[in-house]
Amino acid sequence: MIDRMNSKDVSRRELIQSAAFVPLAALTLSAQQPAVKGALTPEQMKTLVAFIDRLIPRDELGPGAVDSGAQIYIDRVLAGPNANEKASFIQGLQAVDAYAKRVHGSALAELSTEKRDQVLNEMVDSPFFNRARRLTLEGMFSDPYYGGNKNFAGWDLIRYPGPRPAVAAEDQALKADIKPYRVSAYGIQYGH
Amino acid sequence: MAINLKPVDVAVIGLGAAGGVAVLPLARAGLKVAGLEAGTWMDPHRDFHADEVYNNIRRLVSSSPKAQRECPTVRATPSQQARSAGVHPMMNAIGGTSIHYWAQSWRLKPWDFRTRSESIRRYGSKSIPAGSTLEDWPVTYDDLEPYYDIIEQEVGVSGKAGNIQGRVDPAGNVFEAPRQREYPMPPLRGAGFTDHMMDAARQLGWKPFRPPAAINSQTYRGRAACVFHGYCSAGGCHVGAKNSTATTTIPDAVRTKNLTVFDKAHVTRIVSESNGASNGRVTGVTYIRDRKEYFQPAKIVLLAGYTYENSRLLLLSRSKAYPNGLSNNHGQVGRHYFGHWVSNVSALFPYDINVWYGLPAQGATVDEWADDSFDHAGLGFIGGASLHVYTERHPIDAAAMNTYGRAPLFGSAWKKFVHENAGRVASTYLQTNTFPYETTFLDLDPEVRDPLGDPVCRITAGGVRENEQRALQHAQNKMEEWFRAAGAIEVTKPPNNGPGISTHAYGGTRMGDNPETNVVDRWGFSHEAPNLGILGASVMGSSGARNPTLTLQALAWRTAEHLVKNWKSLAG
Repeated sequence: MIDRMNSKDVSRRELIQSAAFVPLAALTLSAQQPAVKGALTPEQMKTLVAFIDRLIPRDELGPGAVDSGAQIYIDRVLAGPNANEKASFIQGLQAVDAYAKRVHGSALAELSTEKRDQVLNEMVDSPFFNRARRLTLEGMFSDPYYGGNKNFAGWDLIRYPGPRPAVAAEDQALKADIKPYRVSAYGIQYGH
Repeated sequence: MAINLKPVDVAVIGLGAAGGVAVLPLARAGLKVAGLEAGTWMDPHRDFHADEVYNNIRRLVSSSPKAQRECPTVRATPSQQARSAGVHPMMNAIGGTSIHYWAQSWRLKPWDFRTRSESIRRYGSKSIPAGSTLEDWPVTYDDLEPYYDIIEQEVGVSGKAGNIQGRVDPAGNVFEAPRQREYPMPPLRGAGFTDHMMDAARQLGWKPFRPPAAINSQTYRGRAACVFHGYCSAGGCHVGAKNSTATTTIPDAVRTKNLTVFDKAHVTRIVSESNGASNGRVTGVTYIRDRKEYFQPAKIVLLAGYTYENSRLLLLSRSKAYPNGLSNNHGQVGRHYFGHWVSNVSALFPYDINVWYGLPAQGATVDEWADDSFDHAGLGFIGGASLHVYTERHPIDAAAMNTYGRAPLFGSAWKKFVHENAGRVASTYLQTNTFPYETTFLDLDPEVRDPLGDPVCRITAGGVRENEQRALQHAQNKMEEWFRAAGAIEVTKPPNNGPGISTHAYGGTRMGDNPETNVVDRWGFSHEAPNLGILGASVMGSSGARNPTLTLQALAWRTAEHLVKNWKSLAG
């Protein structure tokens, strides 16, 4: 038991330290249109999906991160504007899987939802958790143009009324219940 | 070998907030002006979008690639290695930072121009922060008032006057100094939440007001009014309601046919004469455009880059007459630099405040705790901060909200929390009266270079600033009081460590009568190179508790007008 706890602590430390992140600032420089070709292998994608599925799960409040396509956003940005964090992000995914295997007996995607929640809880203060969470939020709550926020599930969840061409004073009233406007800023072909 | 161009009367380096207004009085006076801008025209329909990823995450409007490759490095003290500051919204584009700024357009207070002498008079000489190099400005509010007025009219500012020629109106800012007339447009409308905050401030006995902004509250000179769609911050305006110089003074100057805009012109040096009777005068500007090097001769050069780039270009422009950099024979270039101390105190309300739409300039401001609006006896600091609550909230930022320990960071409990609370968070902008210090300065980085091989600017931020820390702490407490009065259930006050790199960067080429401690004279012309003028916040010797743009534009217009009136003596 003691041995097992030690091994868990050590691997948790490894997990937390694994991803040497480039400063956020450096990520925003090489940005243009999202690349269509993704960055992740099917196996890496499987781990990512297993991870973000527990970050923002599907439940009675509606679709989760995977339903809304946050993984598509992440896959694309790692191949394009965020390419300089691709390697460290993949390292982080692999570290999560290695940790899941060592401590819980199988790869993240093979674990039960309870076990996956446990893994997330154990790494909640790590740089990889923060970065993966941040990118998942970007994917789920960005304009659907970028591949996530399918059917505006993210905007519905937080009750964001959506960009609209002109905003009347009533749309800015305190405690107002505004009828959502659900069109991508880039046109209806990206979501409406 | 540089290609020699036909001489012009005035070469203006940088067509941003400062250079972009200075060209207009010059062109109207019939001077032939070359406007050299490293960026190019931005197209509102191609380049500006209602998109958080585009504006606020990838920063595709506010982080032009050339400027990012020249981004300053930062260190706290000289014993540290400076590191790249990463991203800064200094801009290469016609219109410069005025394209993506918040467009808050403030006049400074008379106190800001005379902080040193007024503080000594009221609180004694010990009130001047230790180690500061604060001087009274060589111009007063009254000197600048006519130019504030010109900019408000020419650029277009919405607002409500609080003091017209001594007649005080509580619908405006009662703490403002007398102005000759009303703003050319009424203030931007309030939102439900900002109106609620105004009521709460009045309950505290404070005098809130809707702040001025260079954003059209109604159609102005044929340009559209604001549509409040919620993507103003770090974005350009697709309807043209934000009055950047790209849509106002620069097109007006182009129409005179006396301004020629040279876009994509990367200025590398200002050239100065080292021989004969004209020793020490500048002769023109070297720039690179499409991989060719040009020399643009000019009778007058006006340097109007961002604060960091103004000091850098001077330090790079060495000659026999200026071995330590142009206009730096007194060692003052880069000195008296400082970044603005600002803070965001945020709050959670128990109901939907609905600030999704709008813009940061749509807000409610309180000036009770700024400048010298209150008695500082026994407080241990001078100055204070303006308190500003505003609208415009984006979905990713909202989902990434603080959970205040009320929910975990993931899972169904988190979903439930953001479902309820993402639309209930308010942000603020507190801006502190900030002063220059001996140990805060700019110079050239000895190691980091831009793609041309020139050193980038290095910021030395200096040590602890007790005065600014106390002033901001005081203001944060007042902000909390205001939020609590309005019904907030959580208030978060971030720590105050002061800025490294700043979007409100001041000094480096300070204006003052004494050439031993200042780079430019009271008109904005170099104490050393008589036909070199400098424009921008780099000439400002203190910040005020508010955004710098209107002041630096008023100063830029004044410098240009001085040049027109004294053309023969200045142009030689």
